[in-house]
Amino acid sequence: MSERISASFRDPSGFLFKQGGKLYRQVNQAYQKQYDHLMKSGLYQAVIKSGMLIPHTEVDVTPADTESAYRVLQPELVPFISYPYEWSFSQLKEAALVTLAVHKKALEFNMILKDASAYNIQIYKGRPVLIDTLSFDFYEEGSPWVAYRQFCQHFLAPLALMVYTDVRLSQLMRVYIDGIPMDLASKLLPGKTRWNLGLGSHIHLHARSQKQNADKAVDKAKMTGKISKTAFLGLMDSLESTVRGLQWKTGGTEWGDYYDITNYSDKAFDVKKALVSEFIQEAKPSILWDLGSNNGAFSRLASEKGIFTVSSDIDPTAVEFNYQEMRRKKETSLLPLVLDLTNPSPAIGWDNAERNSFIQRGPADVVMALALIHHLAISNNVPLPVLAETFASLGEHLIIEFVPKSDSQVQKLLATRLDIFPDYEKEKFEKIFSKVFKIVKLVEIEGSQRTLYLMKRK
Amino acid sequence: MLIDFLAPILKPQAYLDPGSGSILIQMLLAAALGGAYLAKVYWKKIKKFFNKNSDVETTVEEVEPETELDQTAPDVDESKEQK
Repeated sequence: MSERISASFRDPSGFLFKQGGKLYRQVNQAYQKQYDHLMKSGLYQAVIKSGMLIPHTEVDVTPADTESAYRVLQPELVPFISYPYEWSFSQLKEAALVTLAVHKKALEFNMILKDASAYNIQIYKGRPVLIDTLSFDFYEEGSPWVAYRQFCQHFLAPLALMVYTDVRLSQLMRVYIDGIPMDLASKLLPGKTRWNLGLGSHIHLHARSQKQNADKAVDKAKMTGKISKTAFLGLMDSLESTVRGLQWKTGGTEWGDYYDITNYSDKAFDVKKALVSEFIQEAKPSILWDLGSNNGAFSRLASEKGIFTVSSDIDPTAVEFNYQEMRRKKETSLLPLVLDLTNPSPAIGWDNAERNSFIQRGPADVVMALALIHHLAISNNVPLPVLAETFASLGEHLIIEFVPKSDSQVQKLLATRLDIFPDYEKEKFEKIFSKVFKIVKLVEIEGSQRTLYLMKRK
Repeated sequence: MLIDFLAPILKPQAYLDPGSGSILIQMLLAAALGGAYLAKVYWKKIKKFFNKNSDVETTVEEVEPETELDQTAPDVDESKEQK
């Protein structure tokens, strides 16, 4: 039995399907020429060598649709699919640059990218790669770039908004699944960006041209103009330099320097690290989710041992630092993501099935919730039994730190509000969580008032 | 219909609607940017000619993707480093 993947239905070149628990990509006969050229011209080898495309093997598996099939491919499996609204600034910027780099490389082999969707890029083994093998098409001199608008909507607009308006506007990608409309981007960007050559052209003039030509019969004479190869390259070069020119200065958000203001002395911090390491070793996960990971200091206790680790935090600054460190150290098992646990990514798109919700992409083997419970239970008023159920649905093991009311971080949260949390104390927490989990280990963290638990779902 | 005008320049595998406004602005920009791009490439060639001893020169097309990405690896304030 094969099952088509619901995110993959727009492009007639082929589609993804699952069979026997494995992921395959069917190449349709309609795409035969393009696929053969990709594989035989040297382009595939070139983009694989530079690590910009997901590698695949051709396999002898019954196609999901035998009538239209040309080949079946088995791509290397990306362990966690993430989306542009979960990326920090540099993640999206590098995804944009990889898209342009693949497109430019393809041109050397007389091909182009026929789409420029941010969803075609995934962070895989520590770097952004194109995962859609069927994105290549022949270049025909004179043609415009069919994916120009998509590139501007998926990459340029959110990046510019993150830099010039507010970094949180990356969340607009959650609302507009095909990227931020040009007119909205143009409206939200400050007026001074009109004087920036790249943004002025590719966003503001672009938005104006769309408005002027919307629902209008287009003058045929205007459409007969051709874009020479030099002009085509010039356009790509301009997009690239516009993207490169966008620099986001981090700072000013919640937890960027969190570890400078924690309640841990250097010694207690090391004790906590050793304990977390020990608990991870005991649980032996292959996939770990570190929720509320800040800059990923504890995530690395797992990822540095080769355990694939999703390291999420609500704060785009912390995630930016996390990602920068990941790239600098060339780490391959870590995936930093921007995620608000109190409102995690929903399932979106056609039939609510094109992009999965955060929870649908689980479960993990181990969930870590360090210095997090007070934010969920007190700031967000989630009752402890509800928290326990949610954590149990996310993973088999839970490494959780209990932060008591006497802790100054909790005191801060309670300073301006009524304490309506009679259950929020260590013994009751243990009793409530024991209904869903078995407490495997608990250790009071020396030099702090906090306790660390290793739990296993019952 | 717009699609009739576009048909000759859109290929069978092009499943995206490029948008008429987007195509028109692209044609306009490409015409201007093509010239600038040529100037840039030739300028680099001229610089390369006069800096024969320098080994840092590459044309725009020759830049390796690995390098392109690494250029974007942002500078991190080392004081933020945690132990």
